[in-house]
Amino acid sequence: MDFDHTPEQEQLRDAVRALGRRYGHPYFVAKAKAGEHTTELWAEAGRLGYLGVNIPAAYGGGGGGITELAIVGEELAAAGCPLLLLVVSPAIAGTILARHGTGDQRDRFLPGLATGAEKIVFAITEPEAGSNFHRLATVARRDGTDWLLSGRKCFISGVDEAQHVLVVARVEASGRLRPALFLVPTDAPGLTRSPLAMEIVSPERQWLLYFDDVRLPAGALIGGDPQASLPALFAGLNPERITVAAMGAGTARYALDRASAYAATRSVWGRPIGAHQGVAHPLAHAAIQLELARLMIGKAAALYDAGRDLEAGVAANLAKYASSEAATLAVDTAIQVHGGNGMTTEYGVATLLGGVRAGRLAPISREMILNFVAQHVLGQEKSY
Amino acid sequence: MKIVVLVKQVPDSGVERTLRVDDNTVDRGSAGNVINEMDEYAIEEALRLREAHGGEVTLLTMGPEKAAESIRKALSMGPDGAVHVLDDALPGSCAPATSKVLAAALTTLEPDLVLCGSESTDGRVQVIPHMLAERLGIAALTGARKLTVDADAVTIERQTEEGYEVIRAATPAIVSVWDTINEPRYPSFKGIKAAKKKPVRTLSLADLGIAADEVGTAGATSEVVSHSRRPPRSGGAKITDEGDGGVRLVEFLATEKFV
Ligand SMILES: Cc1cc2nc3c(=O)[nH]c(=O)nc-3n(C[C@H](O)[C@H](O)[C@H](O)COP(=O)(O)OP(=O)(O)OC[C@H]3O[C@@H](n4cnc5c(N)ncnc54)[C@H](O)[C@@H]3O)c2cc1C
Repeated sequence: MDFDHTPEQEQLRDAVRALGRRYGHPYFVAKAKAGEHTTELWAEAGRLGYLGVNIPAAYGGGGGGITELAIVGEELAAAGCPLLLLVVSPAIAGTILARHGTGDQRDRFLPGLATGAEKIVFAITEPEAGSNFHRLATVARRDGTDWLLSGRKCFISGVDEAQHVLVVARVEASGRLRPALFLVPTDAPGLTRSPLAMEIVSPERQWLLYFDDVRLPAGALIGGDPQASLPALFAGLNPERITVAAMGAGTARYALDRASAYAATRSVWGRPIGAHQGVAHPLAHAAIQLELARLMIGKAAALYDAGRDLEAGVAANLAKYASSEAATLAVDTAIQVHGGNGMTTEYGVATLLGGVRAGRLAPISREMILNFVAQHVLGQEKSY
Repeated sequence: MKIVVLVKQVPDSGVERTLRVDDNTVDRGSAGNVINEMDEYAIEEALRLREAHGGEVTLLTMGPEKAAESIRKALSMGPDGAVHVLDDALPGSCAPATSKVLAAALTTLEPDLVLCGSESTDGRVQVIPHMLAERLGIAALTGARKLTVDADAVTIERQTEEGYEVIRAATPAIVSVWDTINEPRYPSFKGIKAAKKKPVRTLSLADLGIAADEVGTAGATSEVVSHSRRPPRSGGAKITDEGDGGVRLVEFLATEKFV
């Protein structure tokens, strides 16, 4: 077993860390509180090719894998700048387009994703369906060679920052409703949106989307054929889980770095509070959970990049679960170690609470991962 | 234009650095090794000159095998290639010996312009540009905060304590830069991948026609005979505010001649 990254991957890590640190958590928080986006950081990381590391080189991307994208996501988060849209745009949409897009779709969209100049967000969640994707009610009907899309989506991140949204809908094929993926311009006639008020300190907003007979050309259907959609949808899941896990791990690292520095210098009884095991042990415990999660993220990414999709599926779910639990624990512990300062904006740890907490429900909830493991790893009967 | 940038691998100044007990030289085995920070500004300046005037940028490093990591890292910023002077006889070289080796390597490279950082974070002697200029018979323009090149001359703003001086010299010349000159770029992912394939030529002392006893500890003109740690900082003055804190603070600053 080889636990080392290549020298190029280590250099990428160093470079992204340096860039992230120049912006830092105060930048991230200021943007979030002002209702603005991390436009400058996104643009710079994009220009340097960090956001397109996994996009094929033929389309101007880095030609790397999810391992590289996970490194980018983790290091930016570890610098206090978790970029949520990295999970949807290059990881989900980039993978789906590269693996299942038509030639035209790849030519049109991948170069923009490679440089970060264009963003594609991802819409699957619906108010009525929830975690049960068999109940998706957004439907596309044929109209000549066009499609007419109708339905509702909720919690869709970053729609206001993106040029397109990749929508999971259903189409009727041989008497059955099957999933189908469409690329929809965010300014398409018939598509309206309203923001959801969320309790998360984040420059990204979540949106309700309403599709009212949105007319789409035949070329908007991923792969050009409804048959292509189910494998395309599955192709996006592992990269999503691995990169979201990496972002969580980076956030946990950031929180533990802050907490360790604080515990080593804050003195209340004549020596640093970190000398009290009641303070140090929870930090050590969180550090262990974090390192275990990072191992699983590395494994999942390596399996995925080796083309071992099925094994990667299990590892990616485990990594996502472990990372979101570790991140929640790390942030909670970091706040506790900081005492009252832990709840101030200045010390920059409570600002992460909403984000890591949401990580336990999105993009897939911890319960649905436990269901998956119970059924597919432990061979239990499907419970739902 | 052919530009050569001198790049040195140094122990990371962000972590604790030590001198070796046996021969009082910098312990390059302990701390993590990085590119000398000031050299990144020299590389950046070279890349900007290449962007504006065309030509090529070559890195020149004298250092142990491990310095190859730093060379790859520096190449990821964009230079075209590198020369690594590597020889078992080199460790412990003093400044004159180092300049002899670098000058010999530079002679084979025939640069129009040599760039380097104003100092290295380990040695901090700041003499290498002058020694190289002397050996090569070219001008040394040191401490640049701004650099322009036209026809066959180079002009710098030399940063001084009070302000700056404008200095001009014919090329070839050697220019050392301060960190005020630019903001070094981050390596792009493509740059990182491309660096792997860039040519790095290794030169030995024999290749440069220098005998082993002219360099290293054997040929050193100076030697660090002993070293000791700076004593820990003593307590200093503590002022507890009992209503008169401000006044006492100013009194203290006045005795130290700060106000
Ligand atoms: C910050 C944020 C950003 C998001 N961004 C996006 C986005 O960009 N695009 C997008 O499509 N969606 C997005 N989502 C939506 C997210 O993916 C969903 O919220 C998530 O999948 C859970 O679905 P739900 O909210 O409908 O919960 P529900 O499915 O209603 O579940 C509610 C609770 O019941 C539990 N539960 C449900 N079924 C079972 C079962 N069978 N067994 C055990 N427990 C069960 C769940 O685990 C959960 O705890 C985002 C959500 C958040 C919070």
